[in-house]
Amino acid sequence: MKRTIIFIAVFIAAMLSGYSQEKPVTLRPVTSAYTAEMGGANLANTYLTPLKYTGWSTAFNYERMQAMKFNPDKWVMRLAAGLTLDGTENPAKNADMWRLVGEFSWGMTYRWRLPYNITVAAGGSTGIDIGVLYNSRNGNNPVAVEAAWTVNITGYATWNTRIGRMPVTLRYQPTVPVTGVFFSPDYGELFYEISLGNDSGLVHGAWWGNYFRMENLVTADLHFGSTCLRIGMRSNVLSTKVNNIVTRVVTTAAVIGISGEWISLNPSRGLDSKARIISALY
Amino acid sequence: MKRICYLMMLVLLAATTSCHKLESWSDSQRGNFEALWTIMDQHYCFFTEKGVDWDEIHTRYAAKVSDDMTDKELFYVCADMLNELRDGHTNLSSSFNVSYYRKWWSDYPENYNARLVEEHYLNFNYLSAGGMDYAILPQNVGYVRYSSFNSMVGESNLDQILLHLNVCDGLIIDVRDNGGGSMTNVETIVRRFITERTLAGYISHKTGPGHDDFSKPYAYYYDPADAGRIMWGKPVVVLASRGTFSAANNFVSIMQYRPNTIIAGSTTGGGSGMPFNSELPNGWGIRFSACSVLDAKGNTTEQGIEPTPGCAVDLDPVQALDGHDTILDFAISYLTGTSLAYNRQ
Repeated sequence: MKRTIIFIAVFIAAMLSGYSQEKPVTLRPVTSAYTAEMGGANLANTYLTPLKYTGWSTAFNYERMQAMKFNPDKWVMRLAAGLTLDGTENPAKNADMWRLVGEFSWGMTYRWRLPYNITVAAGGSTGIDIGVLYNSRNGNNPVAVEAAWTVNITGYATWNTRIGRMPVTLRYQPTVPVTGVFFSPDYGELFYEISLGNDSGLVHGAWWGNYFRMENLVTADLHFGSTCLRIGMRSNVLSTKVNNIVTRVVTTAAVIGISGEWISLNPSRGLDSKARIISALY
Repeated sequence: MKRICYLMMLVLLAATTSCHKLESWSDSQRGNFEALWTIMDQHYCFFTEKGVDWDEIHTRYAAKVSDDMTDKELFYVCADMLNELRDGHTNLSSSFNVSYYRKWWSDYPENYNARLVEEHYLNFNYLSAGGMDYAILPQNVGYVRYSSFNSMVGESNLDQILLHLNVCDGLIIDVRDNGGGSMTNVETIVRRFITERTLAGYISHKTGPGHDDFSKPYAYYYDPADAGRIMWGKPVVVLASRGTFSAANNFVSIMQYRPNTIIAGSTTGGGSGMPFNSELPNGWGIRFSACSVLDAKGNTTEQGIEPTPGCAVDLDPVQALDGHDTILDFAISYLTGTSLAYNRQ
């Protein structure tokens, strides 16, 4: 408790000091990226089927990172949004299962700049994901809703280096929910019953025993002037067990897209030659 | 940094231990048999109600399974095992056959002959809307034939039908041989026959893999149709037969408690378990009763609903040869209070 109070006091002092002193202008470019993903998916949901389905996964994601105004050298915010579509088949290849999920998260990380152009950061985020698993062969139980609000630990490690003459930013970013709430019907409960008004017991507190998820993102930003080509890999593991229903989603996909750093400037004033540019990633 | 390292180690530990176990079976004949037996063991909802000893059944049928038997041989062993459940909602589907327990209706008289009604009562002259055939019988009794709850009936359809029959003294709703369909249609129709919020029944679902793991029955209600819709407040006779099954059985289970309403004909076929689907490693589909629907008094209707006392009537095949549907005659007689001899056109 004492440590928390000290931390808050230091935090507030740091924020106030930012306003009370004359400082060189700092510019905080927005690092944004638009990426497409394609890879493989393994899906299982025992509400729909006891079998594991395998197939492809595709996604479109947007990411926005920026150093925070109150302490740009140390704090970085990250906003991410995406839409994922997985198409899978059962082992006999005579039934399909689809998964469509939208995700949104926002978080802040505290970073340490280390030697050799390495930056590491750790922090937290909160996010929602909502979507459905749809099994085409089922009648009264064709859909399993995937919905969760989670509080996550996250972080990243970046290394600014060069490949030949080309600047490259390598990044690894894991995200793991630690708590939250998520939706699940009861073991044999039909959505028809829910539609009649029985909404009890649908929301469950999440912890690693019943809800484990880990997302790993590895990217390489290849700098071509002010714009980067982003390539990488993303893996996502989701495993839940509640009401004796087990859900497992494993996707691994290659990432490709564009990223860049953007600064909003007043055209009449231009860029201050003394301005400090504080990047979100390095 | 030290703390971060500890945290990362904790996360990696969680990552390696937190994936929850998924039961799996081999795609062999024995593996598929065990998958089927286990799926039913964990999800089927009427073991206790029907007094089925599923473990004993496993012992008996597992002895008939071997990995060198053909797919068809396995299918028939599995189908026979499922027939032990005596459940019309339980089917095993393969590319070459769908198993189906037929004895729930084949051991009973059909009690319905469409040609008999259409020729001798409707003179092949009737209206059709929303899956319903309807006409005014000469005794000034409305007749509605609804052959499947899969046929979507709209509010406008019901308005037109009930407006047309508005002049009648009573209404016959014929759901004999109606094998069910959508519960939504049950609600749509029943709402025209009630004047206040009405307890329709209860639903109890499985809460776990144990045979007696059930939720507390959840009461569900129907409200009358929206203001401005055509309602029916006069007497109603619902005609039922053994072929009245599933959603049609549910319709009867609700209408039986409506004032001014009788159920005439024979005991319905039941089928009150709402079905779930699942599948086996070899791709065969399995459908089974998973969620029990009870009537408004909390009674199960899985074994069928008996007619209103004094209203049990079978279709007499001898009189049918003479153009008489004795069940329909009974309904007309009830609504008009006339002698049976004058009921037919």
